[in-house]
Order: sequence, then structure tokens, then C-alpha cells
Amino acid sequence: MKKRLFAIPSFLAAGFLPAKADAVSPAGVVEKKDAPASIFERLHLNHIYSLAAHRSHSSHRSHSSHRSSSGGSYAAPRYNRNITSTPNTTILPNSGQNVYQATPDTPVYPAVPGQKLKVLPGNTDKFRQIVIQVQTALSLYGYYTGTIDGRIGPESKVALAKMQEAYGLKVTGTITPEVLNALGITAE
Amino acid sequence: MIDLRLKVDPLPIVEPLVLRLCERDRSEHSEHDAHLIGRETGCREYEYLGFSVRIHASDELPLDGDVLMILPGQPSAHRLIRATSMHNTLLITEQCDQLCVMCSQPPKKHHLDFFDQFAIAAKLAPSGAYIGISGGEPLLHKARLFEFLASSAVARPDLRFHVLTNAQHLEAEDMKRLDEIGPERVLWGIPLYASDSKLHDEIVGKRGAFHRLERNLAFLMRAGASVELRTVVMQQNWGFLPDLANFVANRLPFVSVWALMQLERIGYGRMNWRNTFKDTSTEFSALKSAINMAVAKGVEVALYNFPLCSVPPDYRQFAPSTISDWKRKFLHVCRECSSRSACGGFFEWYSHDEGFEGIRPL
Ligand code: SF4
Repeated sequence: MKKRLFAIPSFLAAGFLPAKADAVSPAGVVEKKDAPASIFERLHLNHIYSLAAHRSHSSHRSHSSHRSSSGGSYAAPRYNRNITSTPNTTILPNSGQNVYQATPDTPVYPAVPGQKLKVLPGNTDKFRQIVIQVQTALSLYGYYTGTIDGRIGPESKVALAKMQEAYGLKVTGTITPEVLNALGITAE
Repeated sequence: MIDLRLKVDPLPIVEPLVLRLCERDRSEHSEHDAHLIGRETGCREYEYLGFSVRIHASDELPLDGDVLMILPGQPSAHRLIRATSMHNTLLITEQCDQLCVMCSQPPKKHHLDFFDQFAIAAKLAPSGAYIGISGGEPLLHKARLFEFLASSAVARPDLRFHVLTNAQHLEAEDMKRLDEIGPERVLWGIPLYASDSKLHDEIVGKRGAFHRLERNLAFLMRAGASVELRTVVMQQNWGFLPDLANFVANRLPFVSVWALMQLERIGYGRMNWRNTFKDTSTEFSALKSAINMAVAKGVEVALYNFPLCSVPPDYRQFAPSTISDWKRKFLHVCRECSSRSACGGFFEWYSHDEGFEGIRPL
């Protein structure tokens, strides 16, 4: 109801009609339906927000929960090339997909030199590399006899658990920071 | 206050990692799922691709279905999506082109682009989630933002978004994009502080902001967008609120809701508290006229961030509990209050020494 009644003053806001136009009866204009994507159609869209507002006060309230972001922020990630002993970024594609942009698309501030971060390989590939190193080390020490495929399957889990037990680490059957340390794979 | 960050043991990652914590079986699976494999007091262990992800959190904290972002070299994970919360907000950027006197999150120079991570997070959100998009000014990264909204709309037609923006950066050619995203999918939260262009420009610290906003509100109306107009009530615009009500009712009646908001005591809002905060618990007259006028003209009005007892009884129906769960607190006196469950309470950073004088249990 409200939307129809006030459609004309809205056009005024949009600069469509002369100042006197709010005296015009809106009825006929708003009912017009021939052009499907017209502004009139759009005004008839069932926006859930305004619908909720009209359905009842309480249902509207839950939709209108207030948002603002104060207090939240994500600190800049540090790109740490030295996190593993074998940085091997060359085999990975420089897709350009995962570039952190230091400058916005519509810049309001000048780009800061040195802020642009590097293209980074996907985590999965990175993880696979580490798994390969872990499997290699586990085979070397005799805990693992399976194939070195970069995937942690049941065999790898058993090997990890055995190794963890032997080293007095927490037994999880997964690659933990302690496992990486013990096998000398984390080098910082 | 609910923790938006969780301590996490270091992971060998070189780019941000987005994970969904799974503690129970779920009907849909994702390659981003990390499955619970062990628990001890204050610590839970998940497995992700054979790696151990150890999260330190109190045992009562529900984490099943939460989506985390872990950054290289950082000992804490960001809870991008809390599965049990209605108040999930993605912070798009900390850059802004306005400098509002009461800004709760003063702008920063640099920008880090996490849209790829946000896109994964949105895909992993619980069904029917309503996700806030905030900044800084999200539209400064318009192309990426629209791309994110459009792809999320395709991948997850059940999601809805609430975008907080100063609406300065919209152009005619954006109409197509808005159409693709779907006007029913986004509620635009847009601040307007006065109907007088000079006063509005002064408050937001940018010349010409009002005229641009006026033009772009008209554009959003033509796009069939849903708009939540937001006005922070301050000493600066107090006497002008009835005028603003008139302006909203006559010029912007297409808005879904006009939200009148109490100040947040953080950022510039804290710095400028003394000459900005208006104690509406002792004086409500200008708000009364403004609300009366808007309501009479059929505009939906809401009071955000107003403690219930600071509002005259007749107007309490307009004051929903709106402060996000993770930044809400109650005062000592609230313990005896019978209206606590309906009341939004206070911001975590509210200080009662400089706050409302008229707070008393109902
Ligand atoms: S006493 Fe506290 S809980 Fe009760 S209405 Fe006032 S602020 Fe809200």
C-alpha cells in the first residue's frame, strides 16, 4: 500500500517530475504494467525486507538487526617463505588469482610501494608438498612403507601415530606442528 | 562479548586458509571441511587434509559449522561465520572516503583483498544465513564486491546480504550488476545525517557527499533496491531531526526502514563523545516529532542501539534489540530489569560515567 502511495514523491527525488507533480494522483501511473523491467515493476517487487516490515512488527525486528563492523579487522597476513625447509614455489602456477591487492579498484589512496604481496600457491598444493616431505621422512625412519603420494591415507595415519608414540608426542595420526618440528620440516 | 577470534596452533600455510569446522555429520560436504578428531579441556583438534588443526576455545562454545579464516603466521583464527549467530559480518575493507565525526571504525590507508576467502566462506554458511558486509566503505572495491555478491547469489540462492555503504560510488552502469545480484538479495544500509546538505557534508567530512548521496538514493530506487536509511542521533543534528523526517517522508518514502541510531563509543565516536553524544534518556522531544512525522506518512521507523528504558514508553515499540551479540553488554542495574530480554542493552565499549542518565530497571 505504502509503496504505491508514495511512488510519485520518489520520482521527485529522482528528479523525474517538476516540483508541483506531487499533486498528481499516482494511481493510474503506478498500476501500469506493460514494460516488464520498468521502474514500476521494480517497485512492485516483493522485497523481503519491506514485506517483513509489513507482516508484523516482530518479524521485521529480527530482520533489521543492526550491523556495523567496529572492533573487527583482519591484520595483514605475513607472507612467510621460510615456513618450510623446501620452498618450492617455482613448480606452482602463477595464476594471478590469489594476489592480495594492496590498492583498491577505485583508488582513493595512492598505492604504497612494497605493500603489494606476492602471488601465492594454493594451500592444497602447499599441503601436498609438506605431506610428501613427511611421508619421505617417515619412510626414511622406517615408519611408512606406502607410496609417497602426498595424501594422508590410513597407512600414513598409522605411520604418523607410530612415529608420534616413539617420539613421545601426542598421538593424533595427523601432521601436527610437533611432527613437523621432530622431522625437521619446519624451519623458521 | 563473544570472541571473534580463536587461538590456533600454527599451520604451515602461505596464504589465508578458510575452513569449516565439522563436529557432527552434515548432509552437504565440502573440501573445506575440517573434522573433529579429539577434544581436551580448552582445546579441540580437527583434521584437515591430514593436518592437525588445533583450536583453543572454551568447551561450551558451539563451533560446529563455524567458518574460520586462518592467516599465515597468525596465532589466531577469524570466525568469519558463526553458525549459531544472526550477526555475521564480513569486513571488506578498512578504507573509506568519508571521515564521519562519530565513525566507529576510523579508516586505514591500506587494503587487503579477502574476497576470494569471503566467497568460500559464504558458500559454507548455514542455510538461509543473513550476512553483513561492512567496512570502511565496501563500494570502494565495487567490482570485487559485485563479483562476490553475484557469484554468491548463484552458488547460494538462500543467502541474503546486508551491505553497509555510504552509497557514494554508484554509477548508471552498475544497474546491470545490481539486477544480476537480484534486488531481493541485498538490503543496503545507507547513512544520512541531515536534510541540509551543508550539515550532512560537515558530519561526514566530505564536500558534495549529500548531493551524491541524493543522486545515488534515487538510483537505488530505480534499481528496485531495498534500502535501510540510517541516521545517527547526535548533538550536531538533534534540532534538525524533524526536518530530516520531513525529507525522508516526502523524498525517500521508498526506503524499507528509517533507522535512528544511538552513538557507539568507539573510534571517533569515543574521541568526540562529549560534543556528539545526545542523552536521549533525558530529552526525547526532537526524536518524538521526527518519529511522529515519519510514522504518520507511512515510513517504517526503528530506533537502533537505544536501551529500552532510555526511550519513553510510547516509543519503545520502535526500539528492537539490535546490538550484535558479540559487542553487547548489560549494566549492573539491568539485573533487576524485567525487560532485559527485549532490550538491546549497551555496546561493550559504552561507558556509563559519560552515558545515559536515565537508565533504570523496568
Ligand atoms: S535497565 Fe537495562 S535491561 Fe532494562 S531497559 Fe534499561 S538498559 Fe535495558
